Amino acid sequence: MTTIIIVEDTLTIREELKTFLAKYGYEVLAPTTFDTIPEYADKHNADLILLDINLPVFDGYYICKEIRKTSTVPIIIVTSRDTEMDELMSLNTGADAFITKPYNTQILLAHIEAIIKRTKGTSTPQDTLTYNELTLNLSNGSVSYRGNTTGVTKNELKILSCLIKNKGTIVSRDELMEFLWTSYLFVDDNNLSVNMTRLRKKLDELGMEKHIETKRSLGYILP
Amino acid sequence: MTIIDYMKERFVFLASHFILFIILSLVILLLNINAWVIAGIFCFWFIPLLMYMFTEFIKAKRFFDELEDVVDHLDRKYLVAEMMKTPEFIEGKLLFDVLKRANKDMHEHVNLYRDRQSGHREYIETWVHEIKTPIASTRLIIDNNESKVTKNIEYEMKKVESFIEQILFYSKSNDAYKDYIVKELSLKPIVHTVIKNNSRDFINKKIAVHIGNIESNVYSDGKWLEFIINQIIGNAVKYCTPQEGLIKIDSTVNANNVVLSIEDNGIGIADYDLSRVFEKGFTGENGRIVGQSTGIGLYLCKELCEKLGLGLNIDSEKGEGTKVSIIFPIGKV
Repeated sequence: MTTIIIVEDTLTIREELKTFLAKYGYEVLAPTTFDTIPEYADKHNADLILLDINLPVFDGYYICKEIRKTSTVPIIIVTSRDTEMDELMSLNTGADAFITKPYNTQILLAHIEAIIKRTKGTSTPQDTLTYNELTLNLSNGSVSYRGNTTGVTKNELKILSCLIKNKGTIVSRDELMEFLWTSYLFVDDNNLSVNMTRLRKKLDELGMEKHIETKRSLGYILP
Repeated sequence: MTIIDYMKERFVFLASHFILFIILSLVILLLNINAWVIAGIFCFWFIPLLMYMFTEFIKAKRFFDELEDVVDHLDRKYLVAEMMKTPEFIEGKLLFDVLKRANKDMHEHVNLYRDRQSGHREYIETWVHEIKTPIASTRLIIDNNESKVTKNIEYEMKKVESFIEQILFYSKSNDAYKDYIVKELSLKPIVHTVIKNNSRDFINKKIAVHIGNIESNVYSDGKWLEFIINQIIGNAVKYCTPQEGLIKIDSTVNANNVVLSIEDNGIGIADYDLSRVFEKGFTGENGRIVGQSTGIGLYLCKELCEKLGLGLNIDSEKGEGTKVSIIFPIGKV
């Protein structure tokens, strides 16, 4: 199991972040005293450290430098100061990444995953998603069903993966669009309909009988 | 200072001498004394007098010409007391003294306000960073308790954040200090981030976005540029016609600049308002129509662009749409 140490002096953030990361399957350690962080990190041998800058006793930069003297554990610095200068300073102290407060939790997760993947090299990336007998391959953009395979476009891939991840629940058009937009695919309303039609046609061609259903004025669902 | 002006001012003095001289001449004539005596007296009286006045004029002219020259060449005119030569005549000395004292007092006064302002700026900056912690907590609470309600709260939180950003950049724009780093940047990721951050508005208002070729690289500060583009896109979204809104983003590379243009098909800006949109606090007709207009956004964009050495242009046709262009100059080595 991957262990993450959160060094953060604000109680709410510490607790909420703990809950949040635990939800995604990480083991989280959150010290509540800040005078012996380097020793603490040394003792617990975590896979990653989330380090706040504004801390009592020593600041994050100092702690980062101290940890770096003995260890190469990945460190992500979290700070509310967000100028390019601060970013440079953080990276100069030996941190692996720099995230500004208030962070988007999905971005934080992505950073954590990317760094752990790089350092451990043993991640289990979810390259395929399955729904009944349908397999969606995220890395080469193809769907297969009972031995038939066809390629899908980036948009179709995202739509299908969003529906598979939420299988059994209705996904509204707005939710679907927001998911696409956060993946940098700026699709408008008409485009979504077009993509949906094409995706359905492809699933039909694969020989799948029951797939995406439209729930009038609610959205779409993979039952 | 001309000799005529100088003499005009001493007209009463000269005239009184003349009147005295004429009275004296009349007396001499009445006493039947030789007319040559009058001429002699004239010479003895007026030649030294005029010569004295002339040398005084030269002296004064030299002093004031120099002073004017100093003022003309000074970037900060109020430093004249530091730069001028100490005058050698008594009136000059007195004035010089008074000027110096007034100047010193002014400097103290200016410093007082400068200190107050920089204190204010520092406070705002600390405040902005402090407020980010509770916002970060709120965000985490929202993410841990996802529901329709928290989604709406998140949407409002985003607005709060963007107002806070505005305060921070406002205090930065007023100051001579710099916290930006200019380096080579690619436009595309910055534009994408901004659109992503505003995605909720785009989706809710059903606004389409067409992104052209924005692969170009420019030299600027990423954070500042992101803020500027965010303000412009925020405006475009605000003034877009709902349902059929369209925002086009494109860039063109010219011989000596790169232009990033952001174009909407919204309500546009009237001619008589267009020239004033970069003024601080100007909201104009559109501000009255849409509301929620502070007149700060575009003003800040202009200020920040000037600091970064970028151009900012706005074109608009009432009822047709607005096009804002950011111009990145390309230096020639």
